[in-house]
Amino acid sequence: MEMRGLALSYASLVIVLSAVAAAQAPLRNKQPPGFDDFTQRVQQYMKLRKALPNERTTRRQDQIVDRRLSIADAIREARPAAKPGDIFTPECAPEFLRVIRSTLRGSRAASVRKTIRQGEPVMGVHLTVNGAYPEHLPRTTVPPTLLLRLPRLPDKLAYRIVDRDFVLQDTEARLVVDFIPGALP
Amino acid sequence: MQRLSLLLLLLSGCRAAHLWAQDRTLPLKSGSVRFAVIGDMGTGEAPQYQVAQRMLEFHQKFPFNFAIMLGDNIYGGKTPADLKKKFEIPYKPLMDAGVQFYASLGNHDDTNERFNKFFNMNGQSYYSFKKGNVHFFALDSDYLDPKQLDWLEKELANAGTDWKICFFHHPLYSSGAFHGSSTELRTILEPLFLKYGVQVVFSGHDHVYERVKPQKGIYYFTEGASGELRYGNLKKTEITAAGYDKDRSFLAIEISGDDLSFQAVSRTGVTVDSGSFHRPGAAPPSP
Repeated sequence: MEMRGLALSYASLVIVLSAVAAAQAPLRNKQPPGFDDFTQRVQQYMKLRKALPNERTTRRQDQIVDRRLSIADAIREARPAAKPGDIFTPECAPEFLRVIRSTLRGSRAASVRKTIRQGEPVMGVHLTVNGAYPEHLPRTTVPPTLLLRLPRLPDKLAYRIVDRDFVLQDTEARLVVDFIPGALP
Repeated sequence: MQRLSLLLLLLSGCRAAHLWAQDRTLPLKSGSVRFAVIGDMGTGEAPQYQVAQRMLEFHQKFPFNFAIMLGDNIYGGKTPADLKKKFEIPYKPLMDAGVQFYASLGNHDDTNERFNKFFNMNGQSYYSFKKGNVHFFALDSDYLDPKQLDWLEKELANAGTDWKICFFHHPLYSSGAFHGSSTELRTILEPLFLKYGVQVVFSGHDHVYERVKPQKGIYYFTEGASGELRYGNLKKTEITAAGYDKDRSFLAIEISGDDLSFQAVSRTGVTVDSGSFHRPGAAPPSP
């Protein structure tokens, strides 16, 4: 009986300590669940991307622009039939929508929306997969509390918000890799 | 003839006033870390060039070695011609004088600016560097993803210097009427700054100059008017220590030991704010 009591106390202690640890653990999860399909597609894209040249540091802006354009052309050639939903597949897109909408409707919604507004959001831009993100437009601010709940991306990729669309962008090529139209409520 | 003499007299008077206005208040101590701070400058228009000219004149009195850029380095197009007009030409005399520029990215910047060697970002949209007893952390506040936050936490934890200074585009505290404080970024960044002892933060985005009263012991400056300006947009609040929204400006900083001195100078060369403070957490200055 005494042993049983001791075991129960120990179990309670473990539960309490785990709860404390969970409360203190950083919000920054390595990979949130529910995005396996997306992660796989991103890895496939990065395989293709690794075969292409990288940007390099230089004082010559013409070289940076030329390299950017040639990387973009090479990506278009490698994915000639790319279309919306290739990476944000029908399997994972609902999970993205759920996370985006709950972030924008949660207790911090006002602050999150203010972050998007402060980034001088881009409106009325018609996006196409493999299309260039227009050079003169601001790149928009993605709320960090949203980023904390989404799968991590490799270095050359970033999430963007353009109008109400949620975009996966190749940052070096300034190319739209995929997007979910009307994702933002 | 009389009119001409009067005009010359007036002009010489203006020149004298101008020199007086741009007098250095910084102590210029031997071995100090000296730098300039500019933000939201990359318009390629006359006011940006005029601020750059004031910086050059100020550099003769206060030879700073580098400048930090708070984002919106290149507005609009990013062609080679744009880069020349909006960065290389206005700051060439300063670069020729040995001043290095360290950029952070704003919402109007292209992330590929990180590949431009003029900006000393070494291909990274966030990075750190050391100067004397000061560790600088340039952040990309448009895209504070978990990877960047992990990096920042590790860098701050391992920084062995006395001073820790962060700079990035969006202000955590601002009385600018157009944008104001970025409260969501504050929720994420402030706990890290407090945990690891960041003492000073520089930001832009609001096109005004503002020095904020220390918030939880951290000094915040907004310098978002080194090219752009939102005239009269600073709605001074209880957090404002000083501010200026009547013209463009830049900021000059000197750090000597545990003391930081600052001087904000307008496009016309008028000192609009100046002062100094002791490093929070350091032993009090000896009497």
